[in-house]
Amino acid sequence: MNQPILSLSDLAFTYRGASKPALDQISYVHRRGEFSVIVGETGAGKSTLCRCLNGLIPSFIKGRLDGSLQVAGGPESGHPQVYELARIVGLVFQDFEAQLFSTNVELETAFVLENFAVNRDRMRTRVEQALRRVGLAGFEQRDPSSLSGGEKQRLAIASVLAGSPALVVMDEPTTDLDPVGKRDIFRLAQVLRNEIEGIILVEHETEHVLSADRILLMHEGRVVLEGPPGEILADPRRVERHGVRPLQTTVLLSMLGLETDALTIPDAVSRINTAGWRVKDDAQESLNRARQRVTGEPVVQIENLVFKYGESPPAVDGVSLEIRAGEFVALVGQNGCGKTTLAKHLNGLHGPTAGEVVVLGKSTTDWTLPELGRRVGYVFQNPDHQIFANTVRDEVAFGARNYGFSEETVRVKVDTALAETGLSGRDLEDPFNLTRGERQQLAVASVLVTDPEILVLDEPTTGLDYHGQDAILNLIRRLNESGRTVVIITHSMWVVAEYADRCVIMSGGRVVQDGDVRSCFRNPELLESLYLEAPEAVRLGYEFGLVARSAREIADCLERPDG
Amino acid sequence: MVLYIPSDTLLHRLHPSTKIVGLALLLILTVAFQSPWYQLAILSGVLFLAWASGAFRNLRRILPLMITVLVFSVVSWSLFRRVGEPFWAFGPFTLSVESIRFGFAMGLRLEAMLVSGMIFVSCTKVEEFAYGLRSIGLPFAVSFALSLAFRLVPLFFTRIGTVVQAQQARGLDLKSGNVLQRARKYVPLLVPIFVYAIRDTDLLSMALESRGFGMRGKRTEFLSFPFLWRDYAILGTLLILNLAGWLIQVP
Repeated sequence: MNQPILSLSDLAFTYRGASKPALDQISYVHRRGEFSVIVGETGAGKSTLCRCLNGLIPSFIKGRLDGSLQVAGGPESGHPQVYELARIVGLVFQDFEAQLFSTNVELETAFVLENFAVNRDRMRTRVEQALRRVGLAGFEQRDPSSLSGGEKQRLAIASVLAGSPALVVMDEPTTDLDPVGKRDIFRLAQVLRNEIEGIILVEHETEHVLSADRILLMHEGRVVLEGPPGEILADPRRVERHGVRPLQTTVLLSMLGLETDALTIPDAVSRINTAGWRVKDDAQESLNRARQRVTGEPVVQIENLVFKYGESPPAVDGVSLEIRAGEFVALVGQNGCGKTTLAKHLNGLHGPTAGEVVVLGKSTTDWTLPELGRRVGYVFQNPDHQIFANTVRDEVAFGARNYGFSEETVRVKVDTALAETGLSGRDLEDPFNLTRGERQQLAVASVLVTDPEILVLDEPTTGLDYHGQDAILNLIRRLNESGRTVVIITHSMWVVAEYADRCVIMSGGRVVQDGDVRSCFRNPELLESLYLEAPEAVRLGYEFGLVARSAREIADCLERPDG
Repeated sequence: MVLYIPSDTLLHRLHPSTKIVGLALLLILTVAFQSPWYQLAILSGVLFLAWASGAFRNLRRILPLMITVLVFSVVSWSLFRRVGEPFWAFGPFTLSVESIRFGFAMGLRLEAMLVSGMIFVSCTKVEEFAYGLRSIGLPFAVSFALSLAFRLVPLFFTRIGTVVQAQQARGLDLKSGNVLQRARKYVPLLVPIFVYAIRDTDLLSMALESRGFGMRGKRTEFLSFPFLWRDYAILGTLLILNLAGWLIQVP
């Protein structure tokens, strides 16, 4: 048995001023060479635990800490300070924008070494080594703000690795990344597990962490389950109950009534085949017929749109696109491909540098910004960019009041918007006391209040746990079914597969693929070349020769001839 | 800094503390004289430095400001300063040869200061600035905080831009209404901006702490700048000019 490098016993923490503990009775031992993954719903205490591990709690974040935390090589007793632990435990945060502050990559990486008073020659070697490990060799002189999202996060990891910590803790490092950026981080974690003494990763997407040694499932401040992935993830219902999206292999197996402990795609396929399940004869044809929606008149017509920020190369470079009433469009592509810039043309936040955008029959340059904003609701990526009022009701009413409706009309409109988003009865609550998922619903309510025909949502599921994602996606689907045109920008390919009707893929400011969702997934090589990846359920379908959008669709295509 | 122009000119290569002290000496030098001709000479000198360091690109960006400053100081000093024999008067305004000379001297002095500052920001990176401050004796925490502020300003403006857009998308119209009505419209902007500022600062402080910031004791520096003959030469020249200037002090 390897030596423990971290041991927690009965660790508990209550934030100052809070009534309930954020962490309770956490006992855990991390041994040399191990790779552990923490999963759990929003508010389960994952980030709080990470912040205890490197001493930010209790020296930076105040509150009551009980129990003991022992780190190999750290102080023998008492609660160690951040600067004592920083040499041993490196912490990487989710928000890579907020953790980088230097003007070039090399200086960012060197910062930790300067603080540790490493001499200049050793510092050079260790900076080089850290950048090489994360694949950023040759980027030394680049300005961090010029890097892609994935590169920024790898730089954040390098800037921690340079300090040679024994244990690296990463708190949801892939949340804001595109599919390829995500994959690079997981690959890096795989490499690192052999090079450093231990990794702890907080992650929602369990599919990528099947090779971990151990999964810790957290709920209400406790570790409720701990064990190898095969044990923890094999029960899709239990995983889902704790706010984690279950593996689609286990979902499919459970739909077919089989044992669910085959987690990987090859294992699940062989179990299904062994059990005698076969693909029905006309399966693909009936899938292709399903879910064909009738759409109406064009509501958005974009002709040769070009948009430049100042003197930089065009962010949108010659896009022509038509969207019809009632469509559900997903706009995808890697970080910085121009999705958000394009979307902001739909409600007039950006005006074309060249070309034309016609919305609801009129060029956006002929609409006033407020009038267009009333007809095209735009929900920003982060609800906290717009929440300001003291109550949920006032927050939602803001949009309606801006258009000068009578208070009576405002009241009716707010009631309708709250009812549509499932927030009825929460009128008087403080928006900042809602969960992140509820705040996202509130942001949707606050644009619905003007009854827009078109809804644009930028990354509506980012930062939410599975319950939150499920709630917001079903809300968007209902709004679409009630006749609104929906455009979402997203990195989550499973959201595209399961919810959208049409998929528009952008790359380098251009539209490179546009068609119904199933046709986009018909060509996995193309997706790969565009830095995208078919989601787990779709790849599972490929194994049966199907282009299916969800585990449900695969299950519907299978039959067992002998019974 | 935001206006930094990457290049490898002599001015870029100077030791950071030479840049800081040199800027200070230049500014002091402009204060020494009250003659427009000397100011013109200094301005020509710094314009030459601006050209030599490639800072012209930034000067072009502030050209409207430079013209306004020049026109405004020449006109107002000439009209309001009462020196010498006025050859023209109207109400509170008077004009004399001396007041016009003074107006030009002031205008050119401000221009020389602006250009010197612009040269400094065009050829000094944030880290060099911080390094320079430390090497002339400022404590690390102070120099780091200063350089961080430079770094965070653009980021903060991006955040503000996002919040403004998010509220405009909900129909907030910042352009109409009287002053009071417009002032009230900023409330929906201020709350999210403050929430963001607090959250960002909090996250950044945690990231800094996690990377060993705030450790007691000595720290080392990744960057190193040798102090060379050219640094002595430049500082020496500026010192002599200053000494000479303050001794002559041509009125």
